[in-house]
Amino acid sequence: MRDNTLKYLLVLPAVVVVFATAIWPLIEAARLSFTVGRLNRPGSLEQYLGWENYTWAFLEEPAFWNSVWVTAVYTVLTVGLTTILALGLALLLAPGGRLRSSAQTLLILPFAMSPALIGVSFRFMFNPEFGLFDAFFGVLIPPLADVSWLADPNLAFAVVVMADVWGWIPFLTLVLIGGLASVPRDTIEAAQVDGASGWRVFRDVTLPQLGPVLAVVIILKSIFSLKTFDQVFMLTNGGPGTATQTLSHYIYFNGMKYGQIGYSAAVAWLMVIPMIFLTYAYAKFVFRKD
Amino acid sequence: MTGKQRRQFWSAVHAVLILVAIFIMLVPIVWIFLAAFKTHVDVYQLKLFFTPTLENFDIVFDDPYRLGQKLFNSTFVALVTVIIAIPIATLAAYSFSRFSMRGETMMLVIILATQFVPAVVIILPFFVMFRDIGLLDTRTGLILVNLAIVMPFAIWMIKGFIDGIPMDTEEAAMVDGSSRLQVIRNIVLPMAAPGLLTSAIFCFIIAWNEFLFALILTNKEAVTLPIGLALFKGEEGDLWNLLSAAGIIIMAPMFVLALMIRRYFVQGMTMGAVR
Repeated sequence: MRDNTLKYLLVLPAVVVVFATAIWPLIEAARLSFTVGRLNRPGSLEQYLGWENYTWAFLEEPAFWNSVWVTAVYTVLTVGLTTILALGLALLLAPGGRLRSSAQTLLILPFAMSPALIGVSFRFMFNPEFGLFDAFFGVLIPPLADVSWLADPNLAFAVVVMADVWGWIPFLTLVLIGGLASVPRDTIEAAQVDGASGWRVFRDVTLPQLGPVLAVVIILKSIFSLKTFDQVFMLTNGGPGTATQTLSHYIYFNGMKYGQIGYSAAVAWLMVIPMIFLTYAYAKFVFRKD
Repeated sequence: MTGKQRRQFWSAVHAVLILVAIFIMLVPIVWIFLAAFKTHVDVYQLKLFFTPTLENFDIVFDDPYRLGQKLFNSTFVALVTVIIAIPIATLAAYSFSRFSMRGETMMLVIILATQFVPAVVIILPFFVMFRDIGLLDTRTGLILVNLAIVMPFAIWMIKGFIDGIPMDTEEAAMVDGSSRLQVIRNIVLPMAAPGLLTSAIFCFIIAWNEFLFALILTNKEAVTLPIGLALFKGEEGDLWNLLSAAGIIIMAPMFVLALMIRRYFVQGMTMGAVR
């Protein structure tokens, strides 16, 4: 068989699978978002409704705006904290040596952990009676002793953010260590010989060189933060009230608990829009010419 | 302080910071490992020293929790997902790596983009469809949707490995009269085997840890381990010793697998954006 035909045949099965499992659901979700779409009402999944699901979300649903707000704050906090802490840890671990490379090996563990299990373990750690982190914070910051973390809206939010940061620091650190390894040593040494302080070397030499890797890490983490569901579901289930209800959780709740498939498909599509921009930005880095 | 003293001071500070970081990273994991071997009473007393027991592992495999069934479902679903995904992804990855096609970049971008579609968007139409054709709460249904998250990773990761294999052996074999398919089978597959295994393990971990699809699609027969965690929420609150035992069963095998392929984790997750 000629390569010219074969090359398309080889990608065909993969294209079919990707189309069926990812593209079709996107299109079908878009269609559903314009229908009445009640799970318990036969025929409503074909009943055309126009833009009403979208206007309903924008105009009539404070809970929608709440989840947008929660997701936005959550994304900014987790992306910022994870990036800064991972950068610090990467700088600490990059030089190598026995202690540092064993630390790097251990970093793989939280990353291999199911996010749902991370949620469970943080609920455990912040249990007011016998949670270990709860006990730590109680000693460090006395007013926090004996508080019920997951019952307070702000503290529950803080715990959800901490669980996410904890789960993602290892991965970001490993990526940034890789990035640091590609910063040319002689440039750093030249700057040191010129008498630049450690901070100046970091700011003027290391950081600009790390730019592209940092950008990739921030985009990737933003995408995953926007999608967050598993930990939230296991830790707080969106509560107390709706204090930690992210968009994914809001969509899940409306679609699966209330059976409003049409409405939740509309909100889901609203969530796809920022993803398109982020994916576009990400693809630019993947396809950049070296 | 002299320069030498200052260097010693800072390297001591660094060592302490590294130890603190390791401590924070490990504490939640170690705590679960400890709690899994504690009795119900010991969990509630923040004890560091206790008489270990294997009782919790007996209980979680017994009625009413029957974790064995969930363990089987998780293993079966993740394994079959990988067995379907890897060969399909390998053929596509080879083609993307070796040939240039019309719309190739477009295809690769779309494959990359599907990875970023929120799972909750994908699952709504699948839920409706599976309800109509009777695939709810089946392992088959779960495998189908798991392909959505695993395929893009597999294609990109394997493409990375095949890109790294030099083309000259292939070309020599073609000159000697081998067909393209023979070349793929006899030359590329053996050389790419370690990369394929790495990709398979990576995808297995992702499928194993998957939560949202299983939460929405299963309720009794096809429940996987992460969803099984919800079983241990008793009327009197969370049963932490049992949760921890189940937690170990979920995470310990993944730790072993992840350590096997740790050099490739970054590459796999970033899909080649970071080399």
